[in-house]
Amino acid sequence: MLRPLRFAWLSVVRQPARAGLGILGVAAVGALMFDMLLLSRGLVLSFGDLLDRSGFDVRVLASDAPPFTGPRLASAGALVDGLSALPEIESVLQLRVREAEIAVGGGGDGAVEFVGADPRVRSMWTLVEGEDLPDEDGADPVVVVNRNLARRLRLAPGDGLTLGGRCGGAAAPPVRFRVAGIADFPFDAVTSRTVAGTLAAADRLCGEAPRDESEMLLVRSRSPAGAFAAAAAIRRAHSELYVVTNDELIERFSRVEFSYFRQISTVLATVTLFFGFLLIAVLLTVSVNGRLGEIAALRAVGLSRSRVIAGVLWESVILVGAGGLLALPLGAALSVWLDGILRSLPGLPAGLHFFVFEPRALVVYALLLVVTSMAAAAYPMRIVAVLPIAATLRREVIS
Amino acid sequence: MNAPIVEARGVSRVFPMPAGPVTALRDVTIRIEPGEYLGVVGPSGCGKSTLLHVLGVVDVPTAGDVLFQGRRVGTLPDAERSRLRLREIGFVFQRFFLLPMLTAWENVELPQAEAGAGRAERRARTEELLAYVGLSARAGHRPSELSGGEMQRVAIARALANRPRLLLADEPTGELDGATGEQIVGLLDRLHADGTAVVVVTHDPAVASRAHRLIRMRDGRIEEESRQ
Repeated sequence: MLRPLRFAWLSVVRQPARAGLGILGVAAVGALMFDMLLLSRGLVLSFGDLLDRSGFDVRVLASDAPPFTGPRLASAGALVDGLSALPEIESVLQLRVREAEIAVGGGGDGAVEFVGADPRVRSMWTLVEGEDLPDEDGADPVVVVNRNLARRLRLAPGDGLTLGGRCGGAAAPPVRFRVAGIADFPFDAVTSRTVAGTLAAADRLCGEAPRDESEMLLVRSRSPAGAFAAAAAIRRAHSELYVVTNDELIERFSRVEFSYFRQISTVLATVTLFFGFLLIAVLLTVSVNGRLGEIAALRAVGLSRSRVIAGVLWESVILVGAGGLLALPLGAALSVWLDGILRSLPGLPAGLHFFVFEPRALVVYALLLVVTSMAAAAYPMRIVAVLPIAATLRREVIS
Repeated sequence: MNAPIVEARGVSRVFPMPAGPVTALRDVTIRIEPGEYLGVVGPSGCGKSTLLHVLGVVDVPTAGDVLFQGRRVGTLPDAERSRLRLREIGFVFQRFFLLPMLTAWENVELPQAEAGAGRAERRARTEELLAYVGLSARAGHRPSELSGGEMQRVAIARALANRPRLLLADEPTGELDGATGEQIVGLLDRLHADGTAVVVVTHDPAVASRAHRLIRMRDGRIEEESRQ
């Protein structure tokens, strides 16, 4: 069996050192390129996943300022009731976020973030131990805490937690809470200390009389209307509010905040691709130049021009293909390592990843490798295509 | 007179060189008849190999015509010329030019596969050819495992793979010692006896003496032609 592919394979393996060098080079380059492809959309995908994981697909704020930094929504209770009545909306979760200090046993830095939410609406956190908040606070207010805080203070369901609100720069009297459960919060950083309680508990933490204000409303759209229809309905009813769907948020982040990563990954992927191209082009050119007599003899024997050109192309495909396959596990391992480094940046949500696999990345990777192998083979193929048979044979005999 | 296999009519070949054009063939006219055994001799650079290349359709003359079985080859597209070489012409080179990564068997099989021969047909023909050149026992060996004479015998088997009507050999004994060269010449004699037209370019008088017709070249011209 002497099909062109086997023929090319034999040509490749006849120089194992060259083939090994080429394959390893492509593997290194391919691993980097694969990682850059994972990085180019990794943050967007991961961020979208985080948003979706919260279980809400529309956010309502008083202004377009970043969450928890702008004005609060006034008459939040009525607003929640009004929005909940819209047919496109399934539920609305009112959030009040307060800063607090661990009053007992917090150590030097005892700052926590306190999230007040309506327990009657499905929460944005995922309970991992104990119980969720009751619908109404009793005399002993109840909270759930994130794992980091539970680990740090060795808290278990049923334990007490005393917090002092830091509201408007002033310290409020400490309030003792009972820990009902431990939960994961989607946007927590590794070092975050998060406590969630009722809306009333949030007010109580600051020693305030109940205020009908909220930093943000999380809205879950009703199926099949979807987020877009829900957002449109809210905008129609309250044009003064800033309403944003998860998709719009992702799109904005993709266009603005995450665009640096996309640009960096595009530049690095292009550079690595170029190095891969150069490596294979040089190896193939050297290989072809070392076999000119042999190729001329094959042409003299009657092998067609297209046949010998195809042989060079297949050699390129074999080198790039083998290296490209080897690059995948290499790239995957490298991406895990790099992801770990980037995720250790302070303040980032623990669930956020920079390198995220998606089938599309694999398809783009394969396409780029195919293009690279063809481009790298172009010059050596041209050498073979225009090779003067007689002159080459004569030169070989003289040399 | 038989129709010639290949015929050169007033053929010239000029190579452009940096120092000025070099004329390798000057107005050469020659016919190769079926079953003929032609020797081409002459000093180095006299145009012997160029003539062989022109007759073997691997080179195109600058002036004049080459007709292969009556077809003007100068106007044929490259693919057609490749097909002609594949099916009608066998080449034997001084340096063998076997593919080092293929076995003797595969080297002989290669032109047949290229010509589209079926597996069974290829197997039978390759067996036959390796037996013909006395290398059946070495079929699975790569060129690096063969002696010079064995490599040239494999090259001859490869040249005969598609039953060419014309075998062109360029210094086929040039890289071999006397005894081994004699084996190769004996093989060429046998080929000729079996009906293949053979053209041998050589410096070796012993090889040239086996040809039935001998042409002596000088400065790109046929200086002398004789029958032996």
